[in-house]
Amino acid sequence: MHEWALAEAVVATVEKIRQENGGGRVLAVRVRIGELQKISPEAFQEGLRASLAGRPYGAEVFAFLDDPAVFRCRLCAREWPLAGVPELGEEEREAVHFLPEAAHVYLRCPGCGSPDFDLTAGRGVTIEAVDLESA
Amino acid sequence: MIDPRLTVIGRRLAPVRRILAFASAKGGVGKSVCSALAALALADSGRRAGLLDLDFQGASAHLLLGAQLGFPEEAAGIKPLRVRDKLDFMSFAAFSRERAVPLRGPEVTEALVELLAITIWDPLDFLIVDMPPGIGDELLDVLRLLERPEFVVVATPSALSLRVVERLLALLVELRLPIRGLLENMARPGISSDGGPVLELAARFQLPVLGSIPWLPEVEDLLAGPNPLAGPLGPPIRGVLRRLTDGSDSS
Repeated sequence: MHEWALAEAVVATVEKIRQENGGGRVLAVRVRIGELQKISPEAFQEGLRASLAGRPYGAEVFAFLDDPAVFRCRLCAREWPLAGVPELGEEEREAVHFLPEAAHVYLRCPGCGSPDFDLTAGRGVTIEAVDLESA
Repeated sequence: MIDPRLTVIGRRLAPVRRILAFASAKGGVGKSVCSALAALALADSGRRAGLLDLDFQGASAHLLLGAQLGFPEEAAGIKPLRVRDKLDFMSFAAFSRERAVPLRGPEVTEALVELLAITIWDPLDFLIVDMPPGIGDELLDVLRLLERPEFVVVATPSALSLRVVERLLALLVELRLPIRGLLENMARPGISSDGGPVLELAARFQLPVLGSIPWLPEVEDLLAGPNPLAGPLGPPIRGVLRRLTDGSDSS
């Protein structure tokens, strides 16, 4: 459940932002979950609840937004979604789950076969916004 | 967008007492050999040692150590792999196996941040970081993300290598980063540390030469063998470690 490490990172970051801004109430946190990493929502939620123990805010302030993965080839400029990628084997999926940059090891541009592509969206876990009660 | 991973890198490395980055601006000088040897020798001496291979595109530390890599075990993050029953180890190769890793700079940074954010190191006396050649993304990210790396600069007696290594030394000095010394690799009789060009470079920067690993054609076989420190590599690397660990730790 390496999702726990990412959930802990989210909570630690929210707490850091909260402390830097006077320690007020956390009203809402918007977290984007990149499609490529395929994190387990259940495991992430479990990790979130574990990291939130003792905090003055709970899991209810967190909203999760799906962030679809989009690739763009640097050679032929083709864009494609994750759905347009041939199914990877279990080990390869697992590698990309742990380390999304492994996509460059296992995926190729469906247009020209190049491994030289950008992941323009949908990599992993990012925080879009943290809303705090104004002082 | 806020990257939450950056917040936890410090706490992930908090159980590590010292981080030694084996670096050299020049490729092919034996950073991986020296890193692997040092990590093994530290573990053999009873210290808790880890090895982090940051040469994503040319990962080779696992090959030098004769390690079969499986996926890391998950435990609120990922646990380093255990190599030779005594060394904690992490490498991109755990995810890429023996395939090519075609990454551009920003992707190297993403992968490095991810690995640092999700790897749960047990308490270690030393984490050896095997740096890739050059003064590129990995080195700049180590400077940006790690709080207290100490540098061991690897050089060979080659005049070309020393010219390139000198530039790295100048940068590290300019940035006031701790350089523990130069480690001479591929030392050969007649041009080794005793008055040789590595010593001369070290003297110019007022740095110690930590030791000299001799040039041995069989070095890769020795390292991958059952007891790499029993042969001619043992005494010199143990000497290097004595200088590196002098008074700074206990097993």
